[in-house]
Amino acid sequence: MEQLYSLLSALMGTDGLSRLFFMLFPLFLMFELPLTIMVLLGVLRWFARRRTSVPKTSLYRPKVSCIITCYSEGMDVQTTLLSLCEQTYPGHIEMIPVVDGATMNQPTLSAVRSFYVDPLLYPRRHLRPIAKWQRGGRVSSLNAGLAHASGEIVMALDGDTSFDNNMVSAIVRNFEDPSVPAVAGSLRVRNVWGSWVTAMQALEYVLSIHMSKIGLAEWNLVNNVSGAFGAFRRSFLMKIGGWNTHTAEDLDLTLRIKSYFKRYDLKIPFEPEAIGHTDAPATLRQFLMQRLRWDGDLFFLYVRKHNHNINPDLLGWRSFLMILVSGFFFQLVLPFIILIYTLLALFILPGKTLLFLFALIYLLYLLITMLLFGAMLTMVSDRPRQDVTLALLVPVFPLFMLLIRCWSAVAMLNEMFRRGHEETSMAPWWVLKRATRF
Amino acid sequence: MSTPNPRIAVLGNRVASSNIPDLKHFSDLSSLLAAPAFDVLLLDMPAAYAGRVLRKLRSTTAYRYQLVYCCRDQDGWCEALGDGACPAETSEIKTLWGIWRERFNLFRQGSAPERFEGRVLSWLWLRADAHVYALRDPEVPQHYRYPLLEALADSEQVNPFAWLSLMVQHEWLEEGVLVDRVRLCSDCGSGRLNYIDVCAECQAMDISRQPSLHCFTCGHVGSQESFLKDGLLLCPNCLNRLRHIGSDYDRPLENYRCRSCQAFFVDADVQARCLDCGLSHAPDKLRIREVRDFRLAEAGRFRCRQDFNDRSINHFGRLNLLGGKDFYELLTWQLQVVRRYQQPAFSLLGLRFVNLAGTLARLGEHRGHAFIDSLTDRLKESVRETDRCSRSTEEFFWIMLPHTDSKGLEFVTQRLGRVAELFSAPEVSDISLRVVSFTAPGDLLEQEDGELLLARLASELI
Repeated sequence: MEQLYSLLSALMGTDGLSRLFFMLFPLFLMFELPLTIMVLLGVLRWFARRRTSVPKTSLYRPKVSCIITCYSEGMDVQTTLLSLCEQTYPGHIEMIPVVDGATMNQPTLSAVRSFYVDPLLYPRRHLRPIAKWQRGGRVSSLNAGLAHASGEIVMALDGDTSFDNNMVSAIVRNFEDPSVPAVAGSLRVRNVWGSWVTAMQALEYVLSIHMSKIGLAEWNLVNNVSGAFGAFRRSFLMKIGGWNTHTAEDLDLTLRIKSYFKRYDLKIPFEPEAIGHTDAPATLRQFLMQRLRWDGDLFFLYVRKHNHNINPDLLGWRSFLMILVSGFFFQLVLPFIILIYTLLALFILPGKTLLFLFALIYLLYLLITMLLFGAMLTMVSDRPRQDVTLALLVPVFPLFMLLIRCWSAVAMLNEMFRRGHEETSMAPWWVLKRATRF
Repeated sequence: MSTPNPRIAVLGNRVASSNIPDLKHFSDLSSLLAAPAFDVLLLDMPAAYAGRVLRKLRSTTAYRYQLVYCCRDQDGWCEALGDGACPAETSEIKTLWGIWRERFNLFRQGSAPERFEGRVLSWLWLRADAHVYALRDPEVPQHYRYPLLEALADSEQVNPFAWLSLMVQHEWLEEGVLVDRVRLCSDCGSGRLNYIDVCAECQAMDISRQPSLHCFTCGHVGSQESFLKDGLLLCPNCLNRLRHIGSDYDRPLENYRCRSCQAFFVDADVQARCLDCGLSHAPDKLRIREVRDFRLAEAGRFRCRQDFNDRSINHFGRLNLLGGKDFYELLTWQLQVVRRYQQPAFSLLGLRFVNLAGTLARLGEHRGHAFIDSLTDRLKESVRETDRCSRSTEEFFWIMLPHTDSKGLEFVTQRLGRVAELFSAPEVSDISLRVVSFTAPGDLLEQEDGELLLARLASELI
């Protein structure tokens, strides 16, 4: 106790500020900067590779089955189905909308049923709807769809997400390489200017998800194949048993695929040209509840469910280290450090020092954000004219990220002490009750 | 008056459960026709056969008007030509036949109607609630036929639709239930039409749907192929990349392409092509025909009641009119008697209804008829049983009054004055009555016979 007090009094001295600064600054440099640099290098490499590559035409046109999980989307499902019909992909596309709890979700079911695929306009598009009368959750919808899918490639898509018309052809060309079991697609926010929350998320999707996935995929380090938009090779998916119960089935599946990396030298690419448009939560409350689920599930999967899988013998050293650093440290430990540091600073530091310190940290993050944003606009963005307006939000973005980080600590505490994953809305209680407890 | 029991025959194999006492049983049509005609006929056979038998029966004179009941199921032919299902009780058949017989006797007093319209009207009149039913038949080009008219037509060539509309114009028949509305070729009248979609510009049939796109940026509309390049959609006009339906591009409404004139249009025109004569028309140029059932109208019933005799058409039938020649001879004979014996005196009255024919034509058949009826009634009051009447033309009316001198004639003329009262009604005010009289032997001229006398008197009426 006395030691702690002496440490604190030392920090509160005249040179306390600089000490604290030096204590913390390397921390950022050590962890935050290398990751950012790695991502930027990856993006550069991808950019260079893409600019110099020779466009090739391939005759690889497997049948693609799209499992569309529908719940209460209503007429939005038709937009999704239409965007799949409109794909320029020359092969066959089988659309399998699975309406979960169809008894309750009659509007969604009737939207699916009334959708007509004109055989003249869309000769290679097939609609095979499934109505699941009893609600079984997302995983059960996906597995039901998988059982009926006949395509070589299976896509797991959300009912409220629509797609650019080159999505399928962009995804499929990655599967020509037999060592690819899954491909991650990119999501954009459809309702960008719906509210300030959606606008911030739009920037986050482009900067932190889209761009970092491009960078990470260059080093085969994609951390997650999104549940709203992912593609898998059906044979592989059947062998590992499809999707598993519990929440965050997408991250769960990604981790399970990754545990074959060492043995089979597999790759999970990210396809930046395959773009889906989804509706982001519009209010702060909805947004925070979504993140409570996501970040809590992260803890549940890494620490409770798959702690034995995180092993260099299964993952290979590269993926293992990556999960250790980005998964464990960045997503599980760093939020706590940041939260505690912020709270301590708020209580201990005098006002002026606090302000100066925070301004310094803010500027550092702003610099990084601006750098990333510039790189994104020049190299990555497929809709630069639309994205350039997001520059208005760049000054606020570091604060938003701070909020997310702090909230993620709350989410983890919720999972640690309240087993939050068991109250997920992704599956009903009678399904969760049957799942193995971790 | 007690009605005698009808003679009933059964055609087919009627089971013994029937409680009709005396039945003649026939198993085939020819033996039935060979026997003397029965009053009521029961058909005990499936609808398809019954319909065919009814068709034959209605075209023979013996069973044209008779009551024919179907004991089993009925199809359209049975309904159109028969008298419905067989009543369960004999007494019921008897009452129905009683009504039928009463009417049948009425019109049998005259000769049986020889003209087609007479046959149809009397057939309908003999039954309480009879209709001319339309029957759908895909084998006829017009889709519908009237079995009753065909069966009663005998050898006459009748266009049923034209004939029915004429009957409705005469108000003898009235329209019943609207069965259908058919569209017929305006050239040959066939209903076998094929509707085809054709190019809106050049009317060529060779058109096809063409998947097309509409660029939101520059508004270019073109076939889908012209947009596709290396698996991407690029607008060939503004070279913009089209990524998402609804935000970058959509499907235009125009999606038909004519292969002969290359026109690009939204909706194809529709042409109706007649499969019988090959003529093409716009659908709104087709002849539209309403197919209906028909029943006897009030005027038709009245016409039937008046017996189908030719004399009824000559409006003053009830006055025991004599034909022109008979009247001349009678008049000549009376003149000879008076010339020789100077007695008994007799008189001749000439009446002229000026404008009668024109007014009747204007009033129309029905109301003209009623007018003539009342006129005849008045004349009948003035004319005695021994008087003889004749009409030389439409407007001239002659009455010969035997044993009537000038005094008696004056009395009769007074009574005839009441006839003129009828012409005070506004719609018949055009008609005026002129009277001329002659009394023998006072007004007798030398060497004048009946014909000359009438001619002389007629000239006085003009």
